[in-house]
Order: sequence, then C-alpha cells, then structure tokens
Amino acid sequence: MTTGSSGEDAPRTDAGRPAGGPDLLGPDSHFGAFFDDPRWALALIRATVLEAAHPQVGAALVANSTFVAHPWRRLRNTLLSLRRMFDADPAVREREAARLNRLHGRMSGSDSRGRAYDAMDRPTRAWVVATLFESAVTMCRLSGQPLDGDAVERLYAEHRAFLAVLDGDASELPEDLPGFWRYFDRVVENELENTEAARVILFRLFDHLPAPALLDGAPTLWAAGRAVAGPLLGAITVASLPEPYRRRACLPEMPGARSLMQGAYLAAGLARFLPEGWLDAESAIRLLTLSPGDEDPQSRTAAALHSRMKRASALLRLLTPLGEGSGGDPAPTARPASAAGRGEDRRSAEEFFRQVLDQTGDGYLDWPDLAAMARELCTRLDLDEPEETRLYDAFAAWWRELQAALDADGDGRVSAEEYAAAVPSLAGPALIRVAEVLFDATDKDGSGTIDADEYRALFRTAFHRDLTGGDGVCGRSAFVGDFLSFMSARRTSTPYDSVLADA
Amino acid sequence: MDGNGRWAKRRSLPRTAGHEAAEATVIDVIEAARSAGVEWLSLYAFSTENWNRPGAEVDHLMRLVRRVVRKHAPLLLARGIRCRFLGVSDPRIPPGLARDFEDLTTLTGGNRAMTLTVAFDHGGRRDIVEAARSLIRGGTPAEEVTEQLFAAHLPFPDTPDVDLVIRTSGEQRISNFMLWKVAYAEWVFPEVLWPDFRAPDFLACLHSYGRRERRFGGLPPQTNGDTR
Repeated sequence: MTTGSSGEDAPRTDAGRPAGGPDLLGPDSHFGAFFDDPRWALALIRATVLEAAHPQVGAALVANSTFVAHPWRRLRNTLLSLRRMFDADPAVREREAARLNRLHGRMSGSDSRGRAYDAMDRPTRAWVVATLFESAVTMCRLSGQPLDGDAVERLYAEHRAFLAVLDGDASELPEDLPGFWRYFDRVVENELENTEAARVILFRLFDHLPAPALLDGAPTLWAAGRAVAGPLLGAITVASLPEPYRRRACLPEMPGARSLMQGAYLAAGLARFLPEGWLDAESAIRLLTLSPGDEDPQSRTAAALHSRMKRASALLRLLTPLGEGSGGDPAPTARPASAAGRGEDRRSAEEFFRQVLDQTGDGYLDWPDLAAMARELCTRLDLDEPEETRLYDAFAAWWRELQAALDADGDGRVSAEEYAAAVPSLAGPALIRVAEVLFDATDKDGSGTIDADEYRALFRTAFHRDLTGGDGVCGRSAFVGDFLSFMSARRTSTPYDSVLADA
Repeated sequence: MDGNGRWAKRRSLPRTAGHEAAEATVIDVIEAARSAGVEWLSLYAFSTENWNRPGAEVDHLMRLVRRVVRKHAPLLLARGIRCRFLGVSDPRIPPGLARDFEDLTTLTGGNRAMTLTVAFDHGGRRDIVEAARSLIRGGTPAEEVTEQLFAAHLPFPDTPDVDLVIRTSGEQRISNFMLWKVAYAEWVFPEVLWPDFRAPDFLACLHSYGRRERRFGGLPPQTNGDTR
C-alpha cells in the first residue's frame, strides 16, 4: 500500500481531488474543505488503519514507511503532496501524480509470509482512495453533522477523479455510490486482516511517537503527554472502525470507548465555530516540523522557546531528588549529550544508526532505509527524471557497498550491532559518489557551485557559515566534505540533521 | 582548593570529611566574589592528575560534587551566575554527573552577573594540546598562527587572562592550572586550609592584589614628579 510508506504517500494525496475534471479537484472541492478540519486528524488516523489493514498496503508500509521513526517529516510531506494534488493548476496536479507514481513504482517486494506486494497494484490503490472517502463520510456522521446525499455523491465523484489523476482512470472503483458501499463492505469483511502495520499504528505509533523538533528539548513533558494521549487515540480509533473488521482482527472493545470516540469527534466538530483562520493544518504542521536552526522569523521565535524549554527541563532534572545511591548513573544517554556539549559534536554509532540510518525504524538497515533517504532528498529538491533515478542509483550502489562491508552474518540486512562493529568503513567510494550526485542534483543551474537559493531548497536554511569560502557559494568539494562528515564521521548539528535525522 | 585532606587529618576525620567541609567555603567564596564585583571566577575542583587518588575517595568526591551541584543550582541561577565546566572529558566521570554539569550550564547560560568556571578534570597542558590539534585540523598555515589565534582555539576562548590566583594551604605550585591564561597572573598563597577559608580571607587576598603593581613585563611608571 503505497500510501503509507513514505513521506510522500500517494494515497492520501489522492484524497484531495474530486472526481472529474480540474474543477472537481481544485481548491473549491468538498474534500479541500475538510483539509483544515480538526475532525480530519482523527479520520486520517482511521483511514490509515483501514489502509494498513489491507494485506498489500500493510506489507508495503511495514517494509518501506518512515512513519515510525520520522512521523513528523512524513506527515509534512504528505500534507504538502496533498496541497499539490489540490492545486488550482492541473499541470501541478499532473506533475505531483507523476512524482507519486514514480515513487510508488519503486516499492514492491514481499511480506513476512512471502506474499508479494506492489505499490502500483491498481485495486490496492483504489482501496486507499476508498478508505479516504469512507473515512470522510464517517467522520461527518460520527460528529453528528452528516453530509446530505448530494454532498456525498459529489465527494465520491471527487475521489474517483483523484484516483483517475493518479491511475489514468477510476475503473477500479464502482461508478455509483450504492456500488461503492457494496464494494467497501465486501473488502472489509473479506480482505482486511489484522496486519502488523495496523497493529503498529493502533498500539505502538502513538505510545512511542518521537517528539517533533520543536519539542525536542522537553522529553519529559512530551513523554508525559504522550502517555495519556497515546492510548486514548488508540481507543478512539479502534472504536471508530467498522464492526466486521474489529471482529475479524480481534480488536479490544473497551467500556466507554464508543462514547469517548463520539465525544472526541463531536468536540473536534465544534471547532467549526472558531473564527476563520484559526485552523490551518499547514501552519500547524510547519510549526511542528520547524527545527530551531531554520532562519525564518517564526523559527527564531521557536528557537527562543526551545531554549527556554531546555532550561526549564534542565532545572527540572536538577531539582528531581536523586534516587537511592545518589551519583548512580541514570541513563547511558547522558554520555552522548555531554560529549556534544563539550564540542565533540559526534553521535555515537548507536545513536547514528537509530536516528539516521534506520529510517523505517525496524531496527535493521536495509534497502528501504536508504531508499527512504533518497526519497526524502528527491522530495526536498523536487527532482524530475532522470536526476531522480541517478540519485536512487547512487544510493543503490552505496547499499551494495554497505551490504558487502557490514553484513557479517549474511542475512541481507545490517543490524545495529553489525554496524557498530564495523563503523569506520562507511566512507567508501559509493558514498562519495552519492555526495557527488546529490551535489549535481542540488546545483540546478549547473553552475558548478551551489548558491544560497539552491542550498535553501535542500536544507530550508541559510548557508552554514563554515561551508562557503566567503564568496556566498558552496563548491563541490566543500559540499561533498560536509556530506561525508555527517554520514561517516557522524557529526551532529549539520544541516543534514533536519533532512534525515529529525523525527 | 587545597588542604581538605590536612584539615580532616588535624581533626582525626576521614579525608572525605574535608571535602565535605569544603562545600561551605565554595558557596561562601562565590558569594563574596560576586558582591565584591568579581566578574570572572574560576575554581580548580579536580585536575587530570587527581584521578590517581584512591578509588574510594574519587568515587566519594564525584558523589559529593553531584550533590553540591544539584543542591545549589537554584541559588546560582537566582544570583545571576553563569556556570560552566572546564575539562570534563574523562570517560570515568559518572554520566549522571556529566548530565548535571550539562544541565547547570544550560540552565545558567543566559546569566550575566558573573561567570563561574569550574575546572573539573582539567589539565592546562591538555587544553594547549587540544588547541594545537584544533588548529592543525582546521588547516591553519604555520605562519598565520599567532598568540591571539592560538588563544581562540583554547576551550572557552571568551575567558580573559587570569589576574589573580589564590592557592590556599600554603602550597606554591601551578599544578597544571590554566597554563596559557595565567601567564601574567598575580599569585597569593594564604596559609589557611581551604575548608577554613572564608569571605574575609578572600577579601584580604583581593586587597593584597589591589596593592600590587602589575607591570606585564614593562617598567614601573616614573614616580617622581606629579603623575596626577
């Protein structure tokens, strides 16, 4: 299921455009109106679980998606992609659809039981669009503000149009609404399973959700909030799933969960009484994914806030009474923190593996992890063919090099232990090649140097001061050196942090 | 901060009791320095050579320092004292302590009234070696290395040169303390042991420093005639 997999899920994207011509998909569409609706946050989780419950989608999600390790980045990419799919200009929508198709075309494989999956499988893609449509309708019903018949018809037409832009035509979805409901019920009852991906979303994702960059300095605060909100979100989502699926997947029925779920939808629905402009999904996401190093004024405010929070949490830690045997070492994490504080600026091997290399968060370094990096870089740079393929090829060559150097037990993937044991050998010729290809891709005008605008496209920040030779541009060797010091010397606080390491 | 051991021995107490008694002095001296208008105060708490002390004493010291840091963190913050720790690179330092150092540095990073540098696991030679390494790593050509540039690669380059070093308990050695920065420092060697050292002793040292004529290698100014 293509959808889930990377920041760029196609599936969600599709949701945005209504059926039929450009008019159906433009900013005036019904679906577009849901975009900033807070109920949609709950409905999107529900839709994602339904997607993930499809065996093909679930397999692709588990293998390729970065949503466990880098959920915020992924969410931002999804929303940006959605925005484009809703753009008033059909050319922008076509281009985004083509990009999503290329992206999903690179995802195929087989699940843990050996069943093949393919992110380009047409019935599967139709299912993704179907879950979006059904969740939008259900969200309105659950919040006590059901759509009328005409609105549902139009919304369905929009979704079919959306699928058509992605797939060429919408023939995989039934033509009319009665047909759709029969189709939907049949899939829910016969095809959905209790997949690993669905379980991860329901029971693990929110309990382990890493703090967004903005709240990185307040891990205690974040963990406390998460401990309450995580299980609640899980219970709310479970209660909103169709009954036949809950039965098949043996999902728990908690007393009161149904009322809780309806209350949550109702409360979110009341947000429509808020003044216009208060709810804007895009700015909320932007704020969450801001990292304090960015240059725009908002992020300077965020940086100030960030440093206050860091201080507050430092004070909190200092004031917490020491446990028995004071002077005991609370956690090994203290070590890397203090190393960074002393200016050594390096991650430990274990940290680097977790934050950067293992993009999919499954504990192993495998091709999907490197593909996720390539995907993120392509998304940032907004690459077209053939540059996109060149970048993927460079990453693939690097993967072969890594596999040859690091995979000691020959299981085809690299574990954290194997990486830690062979750490120094990361900077092979293939990695340097990756840096060079990335340089060429970033250097859009082919001038042989990267100017401030090209730099900003990749990192969303101004130049790092020691990277330029003082003339305001960055040359090939400085760029390659910087990339290598991030990848192989594991330096922290490089601009790559915001691209590959932040949650 | 010398003389903790002797102080304890004179009272037939274990050496660790001397370290514990030192806590009061540390706080007293910080307060005295702040109210006397001192803007930069450094305390030499633990040298790279102190690791050679008996293991039990080192362990006790680490626990003690941790307790002291945590206990006085709010006070240091309220007094506007910016704290930072010089050295602190040995892996033998307990992670919890390193974390507390880090937290205290973060917490008080915005303060401006006085900068308190605690040299912990510090060695003056090591700092110089580190600065040399950093210069070489940066690829600085030999001719371009000046005293100023070199000083800029030392840890905490914003620290000014040391004006006055107070070494208690009558010891008269440098003991590898901030070697680069003490080049023209004045030295005072009060006989009192560190746990007995108090604000009046500190002020007496400041006073004796005030009477000294600092020439920085030059000649004394002409004293005949009206100098105004």
